[in-house]
Amino acid sequence: MRKMYSNKLVIFSLVLPGLLVFLFAILAPICLSVYYGFTDYSGMGKATWIGFENYKTLAHDTKFFTSLKNSFLLAVGFICIQHPIAIIVAAILDKLQGKAEGFFRCVYFIPNVISVAIIAYLWKFIYNPDFGLLNNVLKAFGYQGQINWLSADNAIWAVLIVLIWHGFGWGMLIYYTGIKNIDPVLYEAAAIDGSDSKTTFLRITLPLMKPVIQVNVTMAIISALKQMETVYLLTNGGPGDRTQFAANYLYQQAFKAFKYGYGNAIGVVFIIICLVVTVLLNNVIFRQEEV
Amino acid sequence: MEQAGKKKHPISKVILFIVLLVIAVIQIFPLIWLLDFSLASSNEMFTSGLLIIPEKIQWGNYAKAFVDGNFLLYLKNSLLINFLAVAFVIVISIMAAFACKRMQWKLSGLVQTLLLMGMMIPIHATLLPNYKIYSALHLTDTIWALLIPYVAFSLPQGMFLMGSFLESVPKELEEAAVIDGCGIYRIIFIIVTPLLKASITTVSIMTFLNNWNEFMMASTYLSTPKWKTLPFSVLEFTGEYSSNYAVQFAVMALTAAPAVIVYIILNKHITKGVAMGAVKG
Repeated sequence: MRKMYSNKLVIFSLVLPGLLVFLFAILAPICLSVYYGFTDYSGMGKATWIGFENYKTLAHDTKFFTSLKNSFLLAVGFICIQHPIAIIVAAILDKLQGKAEGFFRCVYFIPNVISVAIIAYLWKFIYNPDFGLLNNVLKAFGYQGQINWLSADNAIWAVLIVLIWHGFGWGMLIYYTGIKNIDPVLYEAAAIDGSDSKTTFLRITLPLMKPVIQVNVTMAIISALKQMETVYLLTNGGPGDRTQFAANYLYQQAFKAFKYGYGNAIGVVFIIICLVVTVLLNNVIFRQEEV
Repeated sequence: MEQAGKKKHPISKVILFIVLLVIAVIQIFPLIWLLDFSLASSNEMFTSGLLIIPEKIQWGNYAKAFVDGNFLLYLKNSLLINFLAVAFVIVISIMAAFACKRMQWKLSGLVQTLLLMGMMIPIHATLLPNYKIYSALHLTDTIWALLIPYVAFSLPQGMFLMGSFLESVPKELEEAAVIDGCGIYRIIFIIVTPLLKASITTVSIMTFLNNWNEFMMASTYLSTPKWKTLPFSVLEFTGEYSSNYAVQFAVMALTAAPAVIVYIILNKHITKGVAMGAVKG
C-alpha cells in the first residue's frame, strides 16, 4: 500500500492536469502582467521597458484611490446593511416552520441565479428617470420630485444598492445554515430559564454564529474589492470616475485608453492588494480574536 | 425553541412575518416588474403606476427577443461550456485532491497551497494578459477561451471541497481494494469517487453558478457569435433595440428564465449545495 501510494509517476499524473491549468490560466498571465507593467505598451506596436514609471504614476493616480475608496464603501455597505438584515432574517426564518420557510428562502435567493448582465440592465431601467420603478415607487408614497439616481452625487449609492440587493440571498443563506447548525438544546435551555427571544438572539444565536459571521464578512470584503461586472454595465465607473472600481479601471486603461502597460501595472497592484487583504483577514485579524 | 415561540405575543409574530414579507417584496418585485413590462408595448411604459396592465399582451416582444437575441445558439453554447467546465473541474479536482490528501510525497503541501492560491487571485486582473495569450495562440473565439479560465477559477474551490470531504472518507476501503489488487486509478474513480457524491453535487452547483452568468471574460475573448453565451443575448440587444424598451425587457426576462426555472425546480438541492460549499469554504 505504502509503495503504491508513493509512486512518483502516479502522483505526477494525478496533479499534472491541475498544475497545467494553474500554470496556463493563472500563473502565466500574472507573470505576463508583471512584465507589461514595466512597459509603456499601448496594446499595439512595440513595448518599451520603462522600469517603475507606471507604478510611480499609479502612486499619484487619484482615480485608482477613488476605486479603492469605493471598494471600502461597498464593504462597509455589505457589513453594516446587508449582513445585519441577513442575520435577522435568517433568525426569523429559522423559527418559521413548514412551507413558508422554504418559500421565503427560495424568493430571497432568486436574484442570485440571475446573470449580472440582466441585473445591471434591469436596474438601469429601475433607475430610469422617465419610467423607472424607483421614482414611481417614491411617487406612490407621495414624493413628487424626479431623482436622477445615476447622477454624479447619487451614482455610488445607486451602485451600492444594486450590489447589496443582488447578494442578499447568498449572505442570508449562509447565515441561515449557520443558525440551523446551532444545537436546539441551547434554545430549550434558554427558554426554560425564561429568556425572551431578543435575549436569546443576542446571547445565544449571535455568539455562536461568530465563526460564520467571520467567514461571511471576509468573503464580503474580498468581493467588494473584486467588484467589476455590475459597475461595468451599470455606470462603467462614471459619471466622472465617481463609481470606479479597481478591476473596471484597469480594464478601461488597457482597452479604452490604450495604456495596456499601465493597465497591467494596476493589475499587479490589484492582485497584491487582494492577496494581502485575504491573508490578513484569514490569519491575523480573525485568528487573534479566536485565541 | 417551541416554548420561546409560545410565550411570545401574537403581535410580535405578525411583525416578524411582515419583516420577512417586506424583504421578500424588495427582492422579488423588480423581477415581477420586469416580467410585467416585458408583456406591454413601449408606449404604455410611461405611466406613474407601479405595474401596467397591458391593453394587449405583446407576445411579439418575446418572439423578437428569441430570434434576434440568438437565444437558442447562446443557450446551447452556455449549456455546453458549463457542462464541460463542471466535468473538467470535478475530474481534475478529485485527482489533485486525492494526490495531495492521500498519497505520500514531500511536495504535497506545497502543490496544494499553489493550487488553492487561485482562490485569492482576482479573476479580472487576468483579463488583460490572458487576452494577449489567447490572441497569440489563436484561442480567441474558440471554446477554449472560455473553458480554460472557467475551469481554472473554479478548480481551487473544487479542490478545497473535495479535499475536505476526502478526509472524512475512511481509508480502510482503499486498503481492502489494494489487497484485492486494485490499481490507483481504479481506486480513485471506482471506489472513492462514488463516496464523494455529496461534494460532487456541491462542486457542480458552485461551478455552474460561478460560470453560468459570467460575461466579462466572454466579452473580452470572443468577438464572433460562435461561442457566445447567454448573457450576450442581453448585451447585444440593448445596443440594437436601444429605443424599443419593451423588447429589451422581454430579452432580459427570457435570458433569466432558464436559470430561474431550474433553480425553482431544484431549489432544495441547490440551497443545500451552496450552503455546504459556502460553510466549508
